[in-house]
Amino acid sequence: MSVLETPRILFSGEIDWDPIVTNNYDDFYNELDSETIFPTVAERVKAFRQEAIAAVRPPKINWNPHGTHRSNFYNTEISGADLGGGVVNTDAFVGSPANFRGMLVDLEPYGAFTSQLFFDALSFGIEGGCRIVAPRSSRFSARYINFSRYLGKDKFRAGVASVVWQSSFAKETLTIDAFNSDVLQKLREALKADDVAGLTVQWNTYRTIYFNDPSYTQDNLKPPEQLIADLNGGGFQPNPARSRVVGVIGLWRRNEPANEPGDRTLLVSGNNSVSTAHARVTGSSLTLDLSNSISETGTDLQKQDLGALNVVAVPSSGNPVTLGTLTYPQYDKQAYLATSGIVTIPLTADGAKLATEGALQLRDSQGNVLLEETDLRAVPLVQNLYLDEGQTGMAVFQVYNRGVPAGEGISVTIAVMSADGSTILTSFALTTAADGTVSFPVPGLQGSITAYVAIPGPNPQLPADGINPPVNTYMYVRVLAADSTLAALPPTWDNVYRHVLSNWKAMAPCMDNWLDLESEQQVRAYGSLIRKLTSPSAFENFRYMPVTRDLTAGARTLLYNFLGEVPEQSRAAALAPDTAKAPEGVNFAKLSRNHRS
Amino acid sequence: MIRLQLKSIASVEDAWSMLQTAIGVEFGTLPPYLYAMFSIRRGENDAAFGRIKSILMQEMVHMCLACNILNALGGQPRLTPPVYPGPLPGDIGPPGGQPLIINLLPFSQKAMWQGMQIEQPESPPDFPIQTLMLRATQAAPQTVTIGQFYDALDAFLATLPPESWIPGRNQIDDSQFFSGQLFPINSYDDAHRAIQDIVSEGEGAKDDPLDFQNELAHYYRFGEVYHDKVLTKSAEPPGYTWGPRPLGVDWSAVYPAIENPGTHDFSNDPPAARAAQAACNEAYSRMVDELQLAVTGEQGRLGNAVRAMFDLRMAAYAALTTPLADPAYVAGPSFLYTPTSGGTY
Repeated sequence: MSVLETPRILFSGEIDWDPIVTNNYDDFYNELDSETIFPTVAERVKAFRQEAIAAVRPPKINWNPHGTHRSNFYNTEISGADLGGGVVNTDAFVGSPANFRGMLVDLEPYGAFTSQLFFDALSFGIEGGCRIVAPRSSRFSARYINFSRYLGKDKFRAGVASVVWQSSFAKETLTIDAFNSDVLQKLREALKADDVAGLTVQWNTYRTIYFNDPSYTQDNLKPPEQLIADLNGGGFQPNPARSRVVGVIGLWRRNEPANEPGDRTLLVSGNNSVSTAHARVTGSSLTLDLSNSISETGTDLQKQDLGALNVVAVPSSGNPVTLGTLTYPQYDKQAYLATSGIVTIPLTADGAKLATEGALQLRDSQGNVLLEETDLRAVPLVQNLYLDEGQTGMAVFQVYNRGVPAGEGISVTIAVMSADGSTILTSFALTTAADGTVSFPVPGLQGSITAYVAIPGPNPQLPADGINPPVNTYMYVRVLAADSTLAALPPTWDNVYRHVLSNWKAMAPCMDNWLDLESEQQVRAYGSLIRKLTSPSAFENFRYMPVTRDLTAGARTLLYNFLGEVPEQSRAAALAPDTAKAPEGVNFAKLSRNHRS
Repeated sequence: MIRLQLKSIASVEDAWSMLQTAIGVEFGTLPPYLYAMFSIRRGENDAAFGRIKSILMQEMVHMCLACNILNALGGQPRLTPPVYPGPLPGDIGPPGGQPLIINLLPFSQKAMWQGMQIEQPESPPDFPIQTLMLRATQAAPQTVTIGQFYDALDAFLATLPPESWIPGRNQIDDSQFFSGQLFPINSYDDAHRAIQDIVSEGEGAKDDPLDFQNELAHYYRFGEVYHDKVLTKSAEPPGYTWGPRPLGVDWSAVYPAIENPGTHDFSNDPPAARAAQAACNEAYSRMVDELQLAVTGEQGRLGNAVRAMFDLRMAAYAALTTPLADPAYVAGPSFLYTPTSGGTY
C-alpha cells in the first residue's frame, strides 16, 4: 500500500452519514428478493412510513427513516505532508479543504460488512489554488471493520467501530495544481513513473455519534421522542450520524490493491484490542499504518496507553530483533491526528535487512505479541459485486506474499458464506495462476447475497465463527432477482406504481423533496430524467436511482415500458463473461437462501 | 457595496435591533440569489450554479446563526419577507449615494454584479476595530459594510456579562442540516465564532479572498462568475489574478426570465403561468412561516422549511418553463409572501 511511501499527504476532520436504515430490518425489507415488505392495508405506503417511524424507538432503533444516504466531509482539511523527512504542516497545501460527497449504501443491508460510498469525484483544495481533483475510478469500500476500536464504558451505540475506506484513482484522470506546494510538486513528479498507476486515498472513520448525542449509548437507549415527533410532524427530518476521520493520499503502484490496504499485513495476535496494521519497508525506514489499530478509551478520544510498543523482526532462524520503539506520545491522540496514524521508524542498514527478510511483529514492553505478520493475503479485485439474475460474474482474488503479488501454485481456499457472513455454506480450493490470482465464476442464479472469504496457503483456517473483518479478506456478491413477471406486466400506471415506484416512495420519504412518485403526471414529466438516473450505465454515479442499487431488471423493464423507453443492456450483462460457468454441483445462491430460510 | 446603518449600541436591546437587521439582511439575500440560480437552465453552467448554491447555503446558515445569537440574548427573531425591487433592511447605501436597490434578476452579469455589491468587503477598512467601542456608544449613526457592522456588534457583545447569555434558548444546531456549520450560541465565545464565520465567508480575510476554511469568500465566488475567470493564485502581488483559466460561463444557458416578477401583472398571462406563480408563492410563504417557527424554538420546523424549499424549487422550475403571454419570456418565483394556515407570521 503505497500511501506508506512518500510523498504522502494527510488529512483529518469529520464526516456525516445519512443513510436510510429502514431496509436493515427483515420485517421491512427482503434483501434477497429486493422487496419492500408492505403492511397489508389499503394505504400501504403511508402505513409503511408510519411503521418505520414507530420503529425509531428501542429495541429496533430505526434511526434515520428520512435519510438520504448522503455522506459528506465537513471540517475536513489537509493536515500535513510527508516528503520523506517527517510530517510537516508548513506546506502550502496544508489547510486546504477536503471535499467529498458520496452515497452510503450497504450491498447487504442487514449487515455491517459491505458498506460502500458511491461518488463522482473527490477533491482537495479549491480551483485556482493548490488542489487535487480525482474523478472516480471505483467506489470506496469499507473493510477492516474494527469493532473493538472504542473501549470506553459509555459505548456509543454501534459507534464503537472504526472502518478503513479506500479507493484509487487512475493518474490519467487526475488534476493536480501544485503552485507553490512542495508536496504536490513531488507527487506530480512521482506520478510520471511507469509503475505508478495513480493515487490511493484511504481514510479511517471512528467514533460515530448517533442522534447528535454522545450520551446516547448502548447502556442508555433513550427513546428519541423528539425525532419521532418531528417525523410525525411532516417535512423532511433527516437524522445523520457523524464520525471523525483521518486519511492519507499517496501513490498507487501497479499491482497494488485499489480498494483495500495491501502491503505487509500484521494481524491481531491473541486476545488484545490492537487491530490489524499494515507496514512497508522503504530504504532506511519502516512505515507502519496504525490508523485502524489503537483504541480510544473515552469520549475525549484519548488513545489507549499501551506503554512502549516495540516493532520487532523475527528472522527465519535466530532471535527476534527490536527494530524500533514507539513511545505513547508517538501514537497518542495528538500524534494520531497529526500523522493520520501512520508512524515511521528509522532503520539501520542491518535493521532494514532484518525488516525486509524477517516477519514483523508489534509487541508491548512486556514482550507480549500484539500484532504479527502473516505472509499471504488474498485480496479481491472487486470488493462488492452486483449481478442480475441470469448473469455470471467472475470473482478474482490477487494473492500477495508479504505485500507483493505472489506467483503460481499457491493454494487458496474459498469459504462460501451466508449473507450475514456467519455460516460457511461450502468451501473449495483453487490454485493461483502465474500472476498470483485465483478466479472463479459467481453465478447469478436467483436473488441472493453471498460472501466469499479467501484464505491463502496450506492449512487454511476457515472462518467457522463467521467473517472476522480485521482478519479475513472477502468479497460480497448480490444477485438481483430477474423479476420477469414484473417485466411482463402491462405497463400501466397502476402496475408501475405498485410494483416499482411505491417501493421508493415508502422506503425513501426523502424522494418527496425531488419528485412526487405518487403522481403519474410528475413521473411522466420527469420521465427522461428518471430514465437517465436509473440507467444501468449510471450505476456507479452519485445520483443513480434507486440509491440502494436494488432495482431489478424486471422492475426496470416495467418502468421503462411505462415511460416509453427501451431498457439498455444491463450493467451486469456488460460485466459478466459469457463463458463463465459455475463449479459443477455448487449452487451458492440456493445454499445461501436455504440457510436464511 | 451594501452599507448598513450602525446606530449606537448601549444596551442589549440595541444589540437585538442590530441582530434583527442582520437577520433581515441575511434573509434578504436569499431570493435574489435563488432567482439567479433557478434561472440557470438545468444541467448547464455547472460551475456558476455550484458557486451560487454554495453561497446560498452559507447565507442560510448565517441567518440561523444570527437568530441563535438573538435568541441567546433573550430576543425574538422576526423574519420579515423583503419586497423586490427594494432595499435590504438597514441599507442606507454608500456614503453620499443612493441606497442599493436589490432586484430579482435572472442569471446574468448584472445579477452577479449585484451579488458582488452585496458581499463586497471594505478595503482598506475605514472603520477599524480599535475605534468601534468608542463609536458604538456615540449617538450619531454610522454607515458601514456588513463586515464592519458585525464587527461593531461583536465588540459590544464582548462587553456583556456572562449572565446575559441564556444557554439553550431556541437554538438551531446542525443535528439535521449543515453539519459543522450551524451551532448553538450559549456564550460570547460562541457568538464571536459565529460572527467571525459569517464575516469570513462573506468577505474573506483582509487582503485575502479565502475564508476561514480556505474556501473562496462570497464576493470572490460571484466575481469568478462575473468575470468568467477562475480566481487563481499568483506568485506576484497581490497574490491572485482573475484567470487566465475561464470558469466556463454560458450566459445564454438561461431561462428567458423577466426581472422582478413581483412587479409583473400576471392577470393577462396564461392560466398555467398564473398557477405556477401561485405555487411558487405558496411554497415560499410556507417556507417563511416554517422558518419563523424554527427560529423561535419549535423543533422540527426547520425540516418543514427545508421541505418547503424543495417544493419552491420544483415550483420554480415549473414556472421557468411556462411561457407568459409573450411566449418569448417566462417568470421565476416572485417571492411574494402571504401568510399560510400553518404559520404564525
